[in-house]
Amino acid sequence: MTNEELWRAALGEIELSISKANFITWFKNTSILSSENGRVVIGVPNGFAKEWLENKYNLYILKALRNTQNNIREVVCSIKTSDDTSFSENRVDAIQPPKKIILNKPLIKKTLTISQENNLNPKYTFENFIVGSSNELAKAACYAVSQNLGRIYNPLFIYGGVGLGKTHLLQSIGNEILQKNPSRKVKYITSERFTSELIDSIRTQKVNDFKEHYQKIDLLIIDDVQFLSGKEKTQEEFFHIFNYLYQLNKQIVLSSDRAPKAIPTLEERLRSRFEGGMIADVSKADFETRMAILSKKSRDENFNIPSETLSFIAENITNNIRELEGAFNRVMVSSQLSGKEPSLEYVSTLLSELITSGKKKGINHKHIINIVSSFYDINPNDLIIKNRKKEVVKPRQIAMYLMRSELEYSFPGIGEKLGGRDHTTTIHACNKITRELKNNDKLIEEITLIKERLYKIT
Amino acid sequence: MKLTCTQEKFKKAILNSERVVSKQNTLPILNNILFETENGVLKISATNLEIGISKQIGAKIEKEGKITIPAKLISNFINNLPSGENINIEVDNQNLKIKSGTSKAIIKGLMADDFPLLPRKNSDYILTLSSIKLKNIINKVISCVAFNETRQELTGINLIFKENELYFASTDSFRLVENKFLLEEGNIKDGYLDFISKKDSIIIPANTLSEIARIINSEIDEEINIAIEDGQIFFEINGVNIVSRLINGKYPEYKHIMPKEFQTRVVGEKSTIQGAIKMSSVFSKTKNSEIVFKIDSEAEKFFIEARSVECGENSTELMVDIVGPSQEVVFNSKYLLDGINIIGTGKVAILLNNESSPVAIKEINEKTGEVLDEYIYIVMPIKG
Repeated sequence: MTNEELWRAALGEIELSISKANFITWFKNTSILSSENGRVVIGVPNGFAKEWLENKYNLYILKALRNTQNNIREVVCSIKTSDDTSFSENRVDAIQPPKKIILNKPLIKKTLTISQENNLNPKYTFENFIVGSSNELAKAACYAVSQNLGRIYNPLFIYGGVGLGKTHLLQSIGNEILQKNPSRKVKYITSERFTSELIDSIRTQKVNDFKEHYQKIDLLIIDDVQFLSGKEKTQEEFFHIFNYLYQLNKQIVLSSDRAPKAIPTLEERLRSRFEGGMIADVSKADFETRMAILSKKSRDENFNIPSETLSFIAENITNNIRELEGAFNRVMVSSQLSGKEPSLEYVSTLLSELITSGKKKGINHKHIINIVSSFYDINPNDLIIKNRKKEVVKPRQIAMYLMRSELEYSFPGIGEKLGGRDHTTTIHACNKITRELKNNDKLIEEITLIKERLYKIT
Repeated sequence: MKLTCTQEKFKKAILNSERVVSKQNTLPILNNILFETENGVLKISATNLEIGISKQIGAKIEKEGKITIPAKLISNFINNLPSGENINIEVDNQNLKIKSGTSKAIIKGLMADDFPLLPRKNSDYILTLSSIKLKNIINKVISCVAFNETRQELTGINLIFKENELYFASTDSFRLVENKFLLEEGNIKDGYLDFISKKDSIIIPANTLSEIARIINSEIDEEINIAIEDGQIFFEINGVNIVSRLINGKYPEYKHIMPKEFQTRVVGEKSTIQGAIKMSSVFSKTKNSEIVFKIDSEAEKFFIEARSVECGENSTELMVDIVGPSQEVVFNSKYLLDGINIIGTGKVAILLNNESSPVAIKEINEKTGEVLDEYIYIVMPIKG
């Protein structure tokens, strides 16, 4: 039996006869140093334990040890002073120089930092905005505003679908102004941020500070004002700030994804004010513009790509510029990672998912019929049966239009789905809706809402 | 147990003991102070099993006995007693009845038999030092002790024994302080030379020394006796006996780090240099709170500077004597300040070699202008 086993056995027994606190206090870090001729030397960590074990627990220890080895006659304690010299000596020097901490440099390049004060991102400028027929009016209006702040086109209202460059144009105005005169006060804010700042100021009872802050601004840019819809208190505060700035001839620029008229629950007085200045729309970029954007991007990124590949991307990604850029980035990164040439074949397989998935996935004519009928609050069967009531005719035409535009069904196919109607009826319906969409904002709004509901299903 | 003693002595003994008592312990009795009568005196002891302290005070003893009493309770009671009146103590059935003037208390105690025995000294004292000198040294070297317990040996103060002098040293691995204690006749007892031939270096826990520094009265110079045994050290000062464990392990070698010679020497007023460093450290916002010493020996100019991206910059020109070549060195202001704060003289010497080797801070004899060698504080510059 080794000393270690002997001591473990003895400790097990001692533990039972004294309290736990005592056991831990006095027997922690103890061991048998030697055991010769019935004399056991116990190593203890300090003088207190030595005194205590020798004077108070001597009998316990002796008894416990004798239970295992009955030739033990004497127990003495010794303070352990084991300096493990070998272990200490190869340690490091007594003192070491502290390491220099590099002064905290900004992690992002200066050119890309977004200013806290005006929220402008310096990467958006007029220089890198690509103009095409779809956005030249908006760009011209924005440029004009940036040259004559507050004197023409106040307020300027830009609207258009997602990813078509509204934010780019808006921020370009701000950056242009600041470049010419950095002391001008410019504020770019989304309507959602505006709302939450207002709510904060109400909660902390600093509405006046909030108002004062906005009333000092030379150029106020509010992005995505459609989100103000339904927020009455925000609209009211915004109205006051708007009026104040407007009267001082401070420039206001707004953007939205639809025309002021089409924003639901926007207060009349705000709507009329939005319409009082200049309204410009940004529509979907045409093929040439998309090509221009792609070739500029490939130049900027220094990425060699055949023009036929570029035109393939431009032809297939038509919805918005952001998707176009995404597709381009995808092509660029994967071709750089795999080391393959961005040939037409490679790109078409790479983007096949993106192109086909488009937005038609998982939707069929039944969805359209259901959504349209529930939107107009009619029975889905009314769309199919022969019935020329006015309240049914229009929804039916819209359903036909949507089947054509969203699902690309054939005209006879559409007629068949809707109660075996003739294909000429379908053609007439689609043409009628398409024509009306050009000058009927209410219809645009309805179609937008129906589409929104439609794509929520998938 | 029944006795009477003076309040003043009793109070002092309680207050000295009470600090040792640990706050949290597995053993409840360690929160208590032991009172026992022994050969016509009252002995008051306390311990946390790292350090034990006991003090004998003269008393008129009517009946022998012993008891332990919660330290917090008795010290709070004593602290609030109106001074002057003598103290009567009587133990009755595990209760301590204590009476002084018009105040009295009955305090519930614990069996004295369970109280740990303080280790007894089995050897003779080998050193007798001046208490005030020792207190000064402790206060200087304790500033560098590491609090981090990963390196046990750095939580203590290294005491190195030489034939004619003692060295007290401490380091937290960023800076180091060493103070020499010249041994004179009367300091050394018979066993000293014999002892140092076997062991020339020990590590004393920083807590023990700070406790001793507190017990030492800074007005009256007394003798402090020291004995060292295996793993423990004994002190005796004016009737107070202190026993402490020693830290196991080997203190890191440090002598080779201290440069033998320095190229540049700057001597200036302690208070102005202190002020300039404090001011600069406000402007340095990094974790190391870096400040720069610019020593221009041609123009005889000395600048302390700091800058940070967030708050700007600061520069102070100081009137100092410069000997040696120009230097520009970066420091951690806190470490530097610690070294200068504890200097006992009105003037301070800063000794440098170059921007990457250790820098020393020493005291200056104000009458002769000489650099004193007793105290040396070493700090590493921050590498650029």
